[in-house]
Amino acid sequence: MALTTAPDPTRRGPGTDRAHAEKRGPGRIRHSEGLAGYVFLSPWLIGLMGITAVPMLLSLYLSFTNYDILTPFSEAQWVGLANYERMFTADPSYWHSVRVTLTFALIAVPLKLAAALGVALLLNRAWRGVGLFRGLFYLPSLLGGSVALAIVWVNMFNRDGAFNSLLSLFGIEGKPWVNDPDWALQTLMVLAIWQFGAPMVIFLAGLKQVPTELYEAASVDGAGRFSQFRNITLPMLSPVIFFNLVLETINGFQGFTAAFVLSNGTGGPVDSTLMYTLNLYITGFTDLEMGYASAMAWVFLLAIAVITAIFFSTGRFWVHYSDGEDR
Amino acid sequence: MHPAMPPTTGAPAGRARRTAVPRRRLLRGLLAVTVAAPLMFGAAACGDDESAADPNAPIKLSIFWWGADARAKLTEDALALYTKKNPNVTFEKTWQANQGYFDKLATLTAGGNPPDLFQIDDNYLSEYAARNTTLDLTPYQESGKLDTSKFPKSLWQYGVVDGKLAGLAAGENTQGLVYNKTLLIKNNLPEPTTGMTWEQHIAWAEEVAKKTGVPGTQDPSADYKAFWVWLRQQGKDLYKGKELGFGAEDVAKWFELWKGARDRKATPTADVIHEGNSSDISKQLVVTGKSATSWVWANQMPDLKKNTKDELGVIAYPGDPSAQWARASMYWSVFKGSKHKDVAVDVINFLNNDTEAVKLLGTDRGLPSNLDLRRVVSDDTTDPAMKQSIAVEAELTEKFGESPQVPIKGHSKVKSELIKAAENAQYGRATPAQAAAQFVEACKAAIA
Repeated sequence: MALTTAPDPTRRGPGTDRAHAEKRGPGRIRHSEGLAGYVFLSPWLIGLMGITAVPMLLSLYLSFTNYDILTPFSEAQWVGLANYERMFTADPSYWHSVRVTLTFALIAVPLKLAAALGVALLLNRAWRGVGLFRGLFYLPSLLGGSVALAIVWVNMFNRDGAFNSLLSLFGIEGKPWVNDPDWALQTLMVLAIWQFGAPMVIFLAGLKQVPTELYEAASVDGAGRFSQFRNITLPMLSPVIFFNLVLETINGFQGFTAAFVLSNGTGGPVDSTLMYTLNLYITGFTDLEMGYASAMAWVFLLAIAVITAIFFSTGRFWVHYSDGEDR
Repeated sequence: MHPAMPPTTGAPAGRARRTAVPRRRLLRGLLAVTVAAPLMFGAAACGDDESAADPNAPIKLSIFWWGADARAKLTEDALALYTKKNPNVTFEKTWQANQGYFDKLATLTAGGNPPDLFQIDDNYLSEYAARNTTLDLTPYQESGKLDTSKFPKSLWQYGVVDGKLAGLAAGENTQGLVYNKTLLIKNNLPEPTTGMTWEQHIAWAEEVAKKTGVPGTQDPSADYKAFWVWLRQQGKDLYKGKELGFGAEDVAKWFELWKGARDRKATPTADVIHEGNSSDISKQLVVTGKSATSWVWANQMPDLKKNTKDELGVIAYPGDPSAQWARASMYWSVFKGSKHKDVAVDVINFLNNDTEAVKLLGTDRGLPSNLDLRRVVSDDTTDPAMKQSIAVEAELTEKFGESPQVPIKGHSKVKSELIKAAENAQYGRATPAQAAAQFVEACKAAIA
């Protein structure tokens, strides 16, 4: 059954091109259709303005003020760049949270992508029951940033949790993983890596697009498995890898829920799980320094923008699009 | 937030190709609506009608508190009783768990839409009072509309911030050392008693650990309320005016005391201590069986009891009990911009001084503040854990000292910094002196 459903990528090519061509001429859409379009969009537009754009601008303003959430907005006191200055020069816990977040993203994101790609390669074969496995591997990421999952994680990695019971079967003495400042962050990383389902599905879709003739031709030329992977799969997959990398990096930087739940909202033990966003939350809502928290949020936004821009500028050296004439 | 392209970017292309004036107008109109809509909502939220002068006009009072289902049930019953006696007043009730309560309250306040009447604790009372969010209740107290004549003086005084009565105690409470009675009896160990010195307590805990294998006491070095009592016994305090009431050398001494206890194995290991530092009552070590003693508030006894089959006992913290005081377990405060201030104050008065209401509420928010009614409630109560807690509080009340001032702005940060510093020492990442110095440094920044 799986054999018959395997798509033929060569047939798909021209079809996609036609779709592109049609999309490129929006001027041809009839006027009344355009109007209907805007009407249908308006709830979204209003939402964008009201829930995203306006609050964002307000927070930009607040980042230059000494504002705590309890006083009226109009009493926010203009302090110029003082919040930014404090962040960069006088707040050790700020830099600590930057370090924690970078460590987390630098380790967890590549491992998560590697796991996603590895499993996608395994599940790209046509064997019995593969659909079931695809579903099972995807399941954890459906649970996403759920609180329930984080609670399960805490209980699994306690000193007397399931993980240590498992270790003790092999005569290994466990650790209080989530309550040990040397290990709490690593436990969070494992949780993040385990949720590799979403990038895996995207990798699977990408793998299906690689033309099978390429492999046939390569094997005729005597290329081995590894060589095929290196010279065909990876280059053909590079746009998908790029996409996943950008998305997962942004996700990684924004990790909040698990750290919040695991540490009871404190970032403990001893600040070992004080992720940037958690620090931001504590600053704004517990310490009531909303102006300072806004400044932190804007630096965060800029940092992510810069990192994404770096990805895009280096992307042209390693991301290959098969339909080159299209770009 | 995904960097989705706003669909409007597709529009200019079409506009350039066709001179579609209506479309341009439409776009402009949409833009105007999207910009104006939030402003309009904002304006509506800030609207401030003066309340009608008619005393019988229907009034809807919003009220917000944290707590569990049981508290919600009791409070709703008490409020229903108020409505029965004052049919023109109804309530818009909102309640939720402690976690996230203050985030929500702050957000509501920021939106200019806080509840008329809200529950608050001493972690935040100063923060709100300092920002002029709470109504000064002093005039009501002076005119007798808010009756505190039956309150212990130090109890209502613990709601005074900068000379203004910012909140009225909803109940009385004090620090309590809860221990596992069953474990001690089974092992023929003596029960701890009020008035033991800190050194005696630790020696006792060491003895318990040796005999039972369960560490005798939770290490409370990260616990501000234990630190606070200890400080007061040294003639210091947590705060003096707008300053810290202690120095780095005091903190170092405190951390040393507990380092000694850990070295003697009187307390659990650092990771277990960290578990117990959680504010979650079901994780307190005395109920999870990981320690024979927990440092809590005396009114948490019944909640603790629900989480264990063992018999529990409660006494004062070690040292001279006069360092403890009649603490407001929580307060009721009125929003300064409320349209129905007088009614809100009347509701607070009702919840504290009406016999029926107080009997309904029982000891859920601590012992009733009104001493006459406290006697009535304590005669009525059947819950043994609560009876015990009342008895201890009654015994201690005579030994209580003066109330300290309500914690100042920045207190929540001070609390979290203490946890961080103490854990640094517990995990052996810093010496007590280093951790103490860091802590004082961070506190000074927090309260500046």
